[in-house]
Amino acid sequence: MSNIYNLRLLLGLLVLVGFLHISPVKAQSDNTGEKRVTGTFAITNATVFTSPGQSQQNTTIIIKNGLIEAIGPNVSIPSNAHRIAGDSLYIYPGFIDGASSAGVSRPKDVEKPSNFNASSPPDEVAGITPFRNVLDYFDGNSNQINEWRKTGFTIGQILPEGGMLPGKTAIVVYGHKSSSNIYKENAAMLATFKGSRGMYPATILGVMAKFRDLYKNSEYNSQHANLFASNPGIRRPERDKTLEAFYSSHDGSTPIIFAVEDDLTTRRAIRLQEELGFKLVLSGVSGAYPILPQIKNSQVGVLLTLELPEDKSSKMEDSESDEERKARIERVKEAYKERLAEAAKFHEAGVPFGFTTQGAKTSDVRKNIRLMIENGLSEEAALAALTINTAKILGIDNYAGTLEKGKLANMVISTDSIFKEDSQIKHVFADGYMFDYETSEKKKSNGNGEAAELEGKWDYSAQSPQGDSQGLLVFQKDGDDYRGEITLDNPAGSGQITSELKNITLDGSSLRFEFNIDAGGNNITFNVSGDISGNEFDGNLTVADFGSFPMRATKQPETK
Amino acid sequence: MKKIIYAIAALMCWNAVEAQTDKGSVLIKNATVLTVTNGTLEDTDILVENGVIRSIGQGLSAGSNVTTVDAAGKYVMPGIIDAHSHIGLDVVNEATSPITSEVWMGDVVDPYDIGIYRALAGGTTISHAMHGSANAIGGQNVTLKHRYGTHDPENLFMKEAPRTIKFALGENPTRVHGRGNNIQPRTRMGVEAVIRNGFNEALQYKKRWEDYEQASKQRNSKAIAPKYDSRLQTLVDILDGDIIIHCHSYRADEIYMLIQVCKEFDITNIVFSHVNEGFKVAPELAEYTMGASVFADWWAYKFEVYYSTAFNAAILNENGVLTSINSDSGELIRHLYHEAAKTQRYGGLSDDEALALITINPAKQLGIGDMVGSIEEGKQADLVIFDNHPLSVYAIPQMTFVDGVKYFDISEDKDDQRLRVNPTELVEPIFLKEHDHKCMHDLDFLYTETENLFNLHNH
Repeated sequence: MSNIYNLRLLLGLLVLVGFLHISPVKAQSDNTGEKRVTGTFAITNATVFTSPGQSQQNTTIIIKNGLIEAIGPNVSIPSNAHRIAGDSLYIYPGFIDGASSAGVSRPKDVEKPSNFNASSPPDEVAGITPFRNVLDYFDGNSNQINEWRKTGFTIGQILPEGGMLPGKTAIVVYGHKSSSNIYKENAAMLATFKGSRGMYPATILGVMAKFRDLYKNSEYNSQHANLFASNPGIRRPERDKTLEAFYSSHDGSTPIIFAVEDDLTTRRAIRLQEELGFKLVLSGVSGAYPILPQIKNSQVGVLLTLELPEDKSSKMEDSESDEERKARIERVKEAYKERLAEAAKFHEAGVPFGFTTQGAKTSDVRKNIRLMIENGLSEEAALAALTINTAKILGIDNYAGTLEKGKLANMVISTDSIFKEDSQIKHVFADGYMFDYETSEKKKSNGNGEAAELEGKWDYSAQSPQGDSQGLLVFQKDGDDYRGEITLDNPAGSGQITSELKNITLDGSSLRFEFNIDAGGNNITFNVSGDISGNEFDGNLTVADFGSFPMRATKQPETK
Repeated sequence: MKKIIYAIAALMCWNAVEAQTDKGSVLIKNATVLTVTNGTLEDTDILVENGVIRSIGQGLSAGSNVTTVDAAGKYVMPGIIDAHSHIGLDVVNEATSPITSEVWMGDVVDPYDIGIYRALAGGTTISHAMHGSANAIGGQNVTLKHRYGTHDPENLFMKEAPRTIKFALGENPTRVHGRGNNIQPRTRMGVEAVIRNGFNEALQYKKRWEDYEQASKQRNSKAIAPKYDSRLQTLVDILDGDIIIHCHSYRADEIYMLIQVCKEFDITNIVFSHVNEGFKVAPELAEYTMGASVFADWWAYKFEVYYSTAFNAAILNENGVLTSINSDSGELIRHLYHEAAKTQRYGGLSDDEALALITINPAKQLGIGDMVGSIEEGKQADLVIFDNHPLSVYAIPQMTFVDGVKYFDISEDKDDQRLRVNPTELVEPIFLKEHDHKCMHDLDFLYTETENLFNLHNH
């Protein structure tokens, strides 16, 4: 009894202290205007997908202190809750990105020493930096994080940039900019098959051999260190931060996440895993259906890429195609279809998988998931891959991946079933913070919808961290296709330059195109995609490795 | 000495996971059988059961479930073996160090390479997928059986073949490392020093591990393992006789040099490749080595390859050197039978001698002569059926079998034999210099720095 009494007293004191502490803050106005009114939310009467395949209607979710406080049809709503009418809204667990580059910058190249020898370079010069921590190169407030959050992602395992062994990953939540937002540091060690240009190891051959040697020696070094710690008469072990970075993978407590591309690189990663015995997660798997049995057998974590190839085969056929060419086009089509159906095949084979956004564009991700669904993946399996499967692979499923009482408040709220083409994301909750997005009535982009009027001159503005830029877009009809050009400020000096637009596609109201700019000898490709509504275009400008920026355009009235 | 041999550890893993490779049964009737080791047998049948040649004779019969091929008027020879090739590989050179014995071509086998099918269409059933010649001691090679159609690189491995490794002498390693990177070796003397130092270091390494093993056996041992180094471990395995050296070489002096080094380190498992000046050191090659693997008539693509003769293979052969003819090329591998036939024009070799250059002799050089390379009962059923005698200029391969399974049939040859198709490309990039040797692939990084050094051919 006295314990309970003491506890109550303690709690009482804490409340009092808290009150005393907080009251002066309350007395002031929040002159930044950023402090939120309440951290308690109630979304009422929504359709809630608590986990893949489990949905309930007319359900209310209470969020408090970053956690899901209650979920159900008849829950009492706290008086300080920010109420959101969820009627007609769909709520899903926040998407989890198994491997992401968002917000991560590339470390500066390490300078070569004066006695540099390409046959035995220092680890750091050769891209062997497993001791690096991605958080030292991460900016949680970067525009890329905002863009992925807008796409529904609330948690990501962020990967460091670099060579063969770039460093340790971390798991972060895409929460408020004032918070640290870290779930797990040193979550995994990243490995790639990237050779180091002009020095050892330069090719996959060398990378495979080097990886084996490092792993073996890390085991011997660790044994030596343990002996030294517990016995007299042992010579001092030589410190080696590269080898020490492997220690936590020996007992499987830290997985090694291997960035792979196709079935052959996937096999190579599995071969190393079988030889050396670490816990393996494969990231970026694509075209690996020939080895589904091996993947299943090896029990590794699988992250499929959310990047899909472009559909080029439909444009290949022409009147001059002879039989031989037609047969080849047919094979390209089959190969393309196979890639779209890959996720479905993994699911059918009973191999659970998550997704990685590495290499994918924010503007393509939901379209790509729809393509996977059209090619045999169930919505339930798609949701699992976006949420709970990835949570399990990352080892965070006890607090993320589903919507249930006590789990962290990460969720996506959409205007319709999230896998429908016209569905739009209205709110995203990340770390208990709400992020609102504009939704609009969209024209159907295929089917009966009218194609937007593209031809003409458009004034655009694009936002970037370096400031806004304005210019002119001109589109002209060219047979069934369009051609066009963009005018923009010369990045290499004064005045303006124009660049030809490429791969212009208009599908209903949805517009995409590309253009290239030569900036200091580097040819940079810009991808633009978005929607046209009347005379307004709203979309994004994406630059590989730099991120995605909002871009808007308004059509000039036609002068006749 | 604790043996840490990745290849063996890996082999155990493969066996656990992978299914056995396909083995076929077939009865070939009424053929002219060129056994290579036992003369020519007219009007003869070959019965293959479960991948193995069961019997050779007349009037053989098989169960109704076994396919019968009528080869009346046709010629059957053993599958052609290429002792020096780079087909089916994603990467050829890890050129960055004068010794890279730790790397293994088995890690980079590409089962989708259409070159494997083209080789089959030329009757070649086994190729020795080699590391390039950029380093004095290059990587470990892998012997491939051309089981085209598999997606699994390991199904191509001839797992019963012994380990082999690439060495290289002369201009390539001195150009890449000496002139390209300003490290040893810059000269032929440097190449010798690199190899000799490598072996000496390996002996010290072996000693360190033996001492450690010894110490670990003591009660309550607190022995600390020495640094593990798969590069030196591989050299130890060479010294222990577990690995056959295949050495890229041209000049007589450098060949003689390496023979001396090998004698000094008690190494007998060595084959010399290219060996254009081999005819000058034929008696030495015959006495101390596992022979020479040469081109029929290919030379003058760089300075060290000018002193050459088309009689090389015949001279070596007549002097008792175990001699083979190799392709080193995705193009030549399609007609090694033509290359072998050239020794009849230049040197007057007999049919059996000429055919041995591309069958049993390379098989012996790869350490697989007891399994393949001739048509004998009990050997693996790697067979090619030709419409004419394979040494005739009119010969065209009709069918090619590996382990009794038919992988090529000219009557079923499709326009498009690719196994994997790029989902976005109608015309996939192909290597337009396929006819060049591939020994010096993957060296682009050096070209940028010392471009003028690389304007020569790259064999």
